[in-house]
Amino acid sequence: MSTTETPTGTPPAPSGGVPATPPTPPQPAPASNSVTLTIDGQAVTVPKGTNVLEAARTLGIDIAAFCYHPGLPIVAQCRQCLVSVEKNPKLQPSCQQVCGDNMVVHTTDKQSTLARQQMLEFTLLNHPVDCPICDKAGECTLQKLYFDHDNQDSRVDVPKVHKDKAVDLGPTVVLDQERCILCSRCIRTCDVVAGQHQLEFANRGDHEILTTAPGEQLDNPYSLNTVDVCPVGALTAKDFRFTMRAWELEATPSVCNGCATGCNVEIHHKNGRAWRLVPRHNPDVNDYWMCDEGRFTYHDLREERLAAALVDGLPAGWDRALRAAADGLAIGRTSGQFAVVFSALHTNEDNFALAKLAQAWGVSHFYVAGKPPVPARADGRLRVADINPNMAGVKAITEALGLTVKPVYELDPSIRGLLALGDILPGVDPGRLKELEYVAITAHERGPVPHAKVALPTSDWAETSGTITNNKGHVQRMHAAFAPPGQAIAGWEVIVRLASISSTKLSWSHVRDVFKDMTAAVPAWNGLTWAREARPLALRFAGSRG
Amino acid sequence: MSASHHEEETHDMGLKVLSTSTIHPRVRTVQVSRPEAQDTTFLAATAKGLGVTLKHFARNLFLPMKKLAKRNAAGAPTDETWRNEIETVQYPEEKVTYPERFRGLHRLTLREDGNVRCVACMCCPTVCPAHCITIIPAETDDKGIEKKPAIFEIDELRCVVCGLCVEACPCDAIRMDTGMHARPVEDRADAIETRETMMGRGVRSIAVQGGEGPDWRAHGHEVTKTDVNR
Amino acid sequence: MKTLYDILDWPGTKWLFIVLALVMPLASLLTWAERRQSAMMQDRLGPNRANIGPVKIMGILHFVADAVKMIFKEDVIPANVHKGLFTLAPILALAPVLIAFCIIPFGPTIYPHVYTQTLDTYALATQPQNAMFADSIRLQMFQVDFGLIFYFAVLTLANYGGTIAGWASYNKWALLGGLRSSSQMMSYEVAMGMALMGAFLVTGSLEPGFIASHGASDSMSGSNPLNWLWLWQPVGLILFFTAAIAETKRAPFDIPEGEPEIIGYFVEYSGMRWGIFFLAEFIEIVFISSVIATVFFGGWQVPFLDADGFRVGGYVDQVNHISVGGWFRPLPHAIVTGLQFAAFGLKVILLCWFQLMIRWTLPRFRADQLMHLGWKLLLPLSLANIMVTALIKLLFMGGS
Repeated sequence: MSTTETPTGTPPAPSGGVPATPPTPPQPAPASNSVTLTIDGQAVTVPKGTNVLEAARTLGIDIAAFCYHPGLPIVAQCRQCLVSVEKNPKLQPSCQQVCGDNMVVHTTDKQSTLARQQMLEFTLLNHPVDCPICDKAGECTLQKLYFDHDNQDSRVDVPKVHKDKAVDLGPTVVLDQERCILCSRCIRTCDVVAGQHQLEFANRGDHEILTTAPGEQLDNPYSLNTVDVCPVGALTAKDFRFTMRAWELEATPSVCNGCATGCNVEIHHKNGRAWRLVPRHNPDVNDYWMCDEGRFTYHDLREERLAAALVDGLPAGWDRALRAAADGLAIGRTSGQFAVVFSALHTNEDNFALAKLAQAWGVSHFYVAGKPPVPARADGRLRVADINPNMAGVKAITEALGLTVKPVYELDPSIRGLLALGDILPGVDPGRLKELEYVAITAHERGPVPHAKVALPTSDWAETSGTITNNKGHVQRMHAAFAPPGQAIAGWEVIVRLASISSTKLSWSHVRDVFKDMTAAVPAWNGLTWAREARPLALRFAGSRG
Repeated sequence: MSASHHEEETHDMGLKVLSTSTIHPRVRTVQVSRPEAQDTTFLAATAKGLGVTLKHFARNLFLPMKKLAKRNAAGAPTDETWRNEIETVQYPEEKVTYPERFRGLHRLTLREDGNVRCVACMCCPTVCPAHCITIIPAETDDKGIEKKPAIFEIDELRCVVCGLCVEACPCDAIRMDTGMHARPVEDRADAIETRETMMGRGVRSIAVQGGEGPDWRAHGHEVTKTDVNR
Repeated sequence: MKTLYDILDWPGTKWLFIVLALVMPLASLLTWAERRQSAMMQDRLGPNRANIGPVKIMGILHFVADAVKMIFKEDVIPANVHKGLFTLAPILALAPVLIAFCIIPFGPTIYPHVYTQTLDTYALATQPQNAMFADSIRLQMFQVDFGLIFYFAVLTLANYGGTIAGWASYNKWALLGGLRSSSQMMSYEVAMGMALMGAFLVTGSLEPGFIASHGASDSMSGSNPLNWLWLWQPVGLILFFTAAIAETKRAPFDIPEGEPEIIGYFVEYSGMRWGIFFLAEFIEIVFISSVIATVFFGGWQVPFLDADGFRVGGYVDQVNHISVGGWFRPLPHAIVTGLQFAAFGLKVILLCWFQLMIRWTLPRFRADQLMHLGWKLLLPLSLANIMVTALIKLLFMGGS
C-alpha cells in the first residue's frame, strides 16, 4: 500500500498508506507526551524530547546553526545556535537544549544576539572569503548567516592562518581546509549514513583540520552526502565542481530512477540540462540521503537520446513513423502472433497506457523488461539489488488488469510483432529482433532500439511528469524538470497517438487522466490523488542549502 | 434640449452665435473667424524667414570655423562673435573627447604574472541583462586561485553597454574603460569578443583583493612563519 | 569656314553646347550646392569629402560620385508595374524641360567677323546684309514670335511624367503623388501664365529674345537696369516666381513628393531612372531661373553695356554715328558678348541660389493652403495685374 508523494501538500490518506509528511514541524502530540514552552513570548507545545531549535522552527523562528543537522547526531560544537534560557546563567546551545515544560527561551535578546554575532566573527576569523571561486557561494549557510547576523568588515589585522586547498579526499570529493569551519557534519554523515568512519579532525586550535581517517579515504557509496551537508564550500563534488553556479540553477522535485528504492531527489537544472541531483527529505524512503551512484544517473539523460522518430533507422516525422508503426503492428495483431513488452524503467502511466492499448487490441502475449539485479549493491541501507525503478508498479498494474506477464527473455518463438516500451530487451537475440515487426517506444537509441522497424521518441525520467512505485510500494510522483529533446513526447502520449492512428480510442489528454483511470483500475492505489505540477524553484531564492 | 444646455454647447465651440433656428435649436448661424490677410499671403513671414536663414548662411559661409575645443565645450562659448556657428565635428580627423566614465569595449585585466584576473565567479553573466556573457570555467594548477575562465566571450552585438558586469565583478577583472567602440564586422560571429582579445586590451590591475593587495597570499605565508601563534 | 559657322548656328549644335555642356552640369552641381547650402543655413557643413586623390574642392565632386552611384545601382522594376509607361515616365519628365530651353536667349547675336572690333551698331541697323555681319550666330536656338507660349505648352507636358509615373508604379502612394502633382500643376499653370501676361503687355512681345534685348521701353537702352521688367512688373515677378516654384514641385510646394508621408510618384523608382526625375527637377530650377532672368532681369544684358561698349547717360547720334553725352567706353565685340554671356550665367546662378534659399527656409504648405494660395490669391492678383497694366499702358503710354 502506498501514496503519492505530494510536494505541494494535501497528501491523501488511503487506508494503510504512510503519509509522506515532512519531518518538521512535528505534530503536537497527546498532552502526556508533550511539553509547553515559551520562545520569544510565543507559547508552543512540542513532543517531549524535542530540542529548542526545532521547537523554534515550528514557530517560524530560524535559529542559526552550522553543526546541527536534523538527520545527524547532535554535538553542539559550532556554538552558533546559542539562546538564553531564563533561570539559566549561561547561554545554551538550542540544538542540544531539550525543551522543558514552562521553559522561557529568548532568541533575540541582547545577550544571545551578541553571542551569535561574535561567534560568527570567530568562525570567519580565518575563513578565506574566496566566495567568487567557491562553488558553495549562493547556497552557503556561512554566507547567509553572515548577512543575517554579522554583516560587518573583518576586524582582523593579523595574517590569516593558511591551510591546504584542493585536498583530494577520495574519488568524488575535494576538500578546501581553509574554508572548513569544523562543524563535523561530514564526519557524522559518514558514520551514520554509510556506517564507515572515514573522516576525522586532526591538530588543535586554529590549525585544526579535517582529514581522512588513517588508512582511509572518502570512498563510501554515500560520500557525496558530505558535500550536501557541508554548510560552507569546504567539501565540493568533483562531479559538479566549477561547472555551474548554484544561483543559476532551478530545482524540480523528482524521484531517483537509479534503483527500486526511489530516493526522493531534486533535479538541479538550467536551460534544459540537468547539472546535479541532490536528495530531498522523505522519512519513509530515503530520509535526507541518497547514494553516489544515484546522483550520477543524470549524466545518462544526455546519452544517446532519441530526438526524432526513426523508421528503418532513418529519422521521420511523427505522422509517417506512427503510420509505419501501425501498419507493421497490424500484421502481427491480426495473426495473434503479437506481444507487448512493459518496462520496469518507465512510469506507471506509460505502462498502464500500454496495457490498455494492448487490451483494446486484444493482445494475449505480455512480457516485462527490466535490468538484471545487482546483488552486490544491496547494503541494507538505501542501495538495493533491484536497479529497476518501477518493477513493483508494473506488477501492480498487470495484476490488477489480470494480465499474465512473463520475463522478456522467455519471448515466444511464434511472435512476429513486438511493441516494446524502453530501451532494454535482456535475453532477446538481436538477430531475432531484425526479423520481427519491432516497434520501440524509448528515450534512448541503444540496446535493441537500432534493430527496431520504428522507434518512437519519449521523454526520459527527468523530463517526465508521472509516478513510479518503489520496492516498498510507495507510488511516488516525478515532476518534469525541463522539456524533452527534439520531437520526443511523454510515453503515454506516444501510446495515445499510436492508438488514434490505429482507430483505437484512448481518450486521455493529460497524464493526470491516465493517472485517474489507473488508480481507479488498481485496487491498491484507489483514492490516490494527483498533485499539482511543481514549478521549478530558482535556487537563488532558496537561501542556503546544507 | 434645454436652452441652457444649448448655450453652453455653443460656448464650448467658441463661436459667436448670430441666430438660432426656431425649428431645431441645433441649426444656427455662427460667426467663424477667418485668418487675417497677412497670415494668408505669407509674404511678410517669408521675408522674415529668409532673413534668418540668410544670416546663418552668410555667417557660416564667410566667417572662420570655431575651434574643435570650442565646439566640444559645454555651455555657451565666450568669445565667438566673429566665428561661424557650424558645430559639425569632422570625425576621422577630429574627435570629440569622451567623458571620463564613457563605457567602451570590455577588457579583462591581468595579474602580475600576466594571467587573467577573472576567476569565473559568474557574477557578470548573472547580472547581465542582455545575457551577452558566456563563461565556461576551468580548474587551474594554482591552488590559491583554483578557478579560471576557459572560455570568456562577450557578444558585443547583444551587449547593451550598461556596465553592470563591471559593477558586479568582485575582482576588478572586467572593465569597460578602453574608450573603444564596438568594431564594425561583416559577420555576426566576428562581434563576439573572446578571452584573448579582451586580455589583449588588458592592463595589470593593482586593485586590492582580500583587503591585502594582489599578493596577499604569498605575503601572508611569509608572515605566518614568524607568527607567534605557530 | 562657311560650313563651320553654319554648323555652329544650327540649333542642334547650340543645344548640344549650351544645354548639354552648360545646363546639365549646372543642374548636377545644384544637387551638391543645395546640400551644401542647406547645411550652411542649418549650421552644418554638408557634403564636403568627395575627392579624386588629393583633389577635394569643397566636396564639389559629390555630384560625380552621385552620378556614378546612380548609374551603377540596381535598376529595380517592381512586379505589376506597367513596364512601358514606367520606363517612359522619366523621359517624359526630363525631355520637355530640355526642349523648353530652346527659347531661352543665352546671349546676344555674335558676329564672328568683327569680333576684334567695336561693333558698329549704325552699320548693323542700316546694312544688315553687309559681309562683315555675315555668318552670325544667335545664342538662342528657336526664335519664334510665340516664344513664351511655347514654354507653357511644352513644360506642361512634363507634368505627364509625374502623373504617369504615379499611375504606372502600381503603388497607392505613387498614385497619390501623381494625382497631387497634376492637381498642383493645374492650379498653378493658370496663375503662372497670367503673371507673365503683364510683361507681354508692357513689352508688346512674347519673344524672350526681344524682351531681353529691348526691355520695357524703347526710350531707354535695353541695358539700363531701370528698363528691365522687375521695375515695371514687380507684382508679376512675385506671382510668377511663386507659381514657378510650385511648378518645380519643391518646398514649400513639395506636396506631390510629400517626403514624410507618401514619398511621391517616384517611390518605386531606383537607380538612374530615379536619378532622371531628380535631374529633371534641378534642370527645371535652372530653367525657371533662366526665364525669370530673361523676362524680368534683362536676360544677358550687363547693366549699361550696349553692343559697342559701356555707355552711361548718353545716346547714339543717329546722324553722325557717334556717342553723345554721358560716359562712353567702347569695347571689342568679343569682350562685350563674353561679358553678356557671363552676366546671363551669373543671373541664373543667383536666381537658383535664391530658389534654394526659399526651399530651405519655408516649411511645406498644407494641401488646402496650397490650393487657397493658387486659386484665391495668385490667380486674382495676376488678373488684377493684367488689368492695371493694361489700364496704365492705355492711359499713359498711348496704347498700341
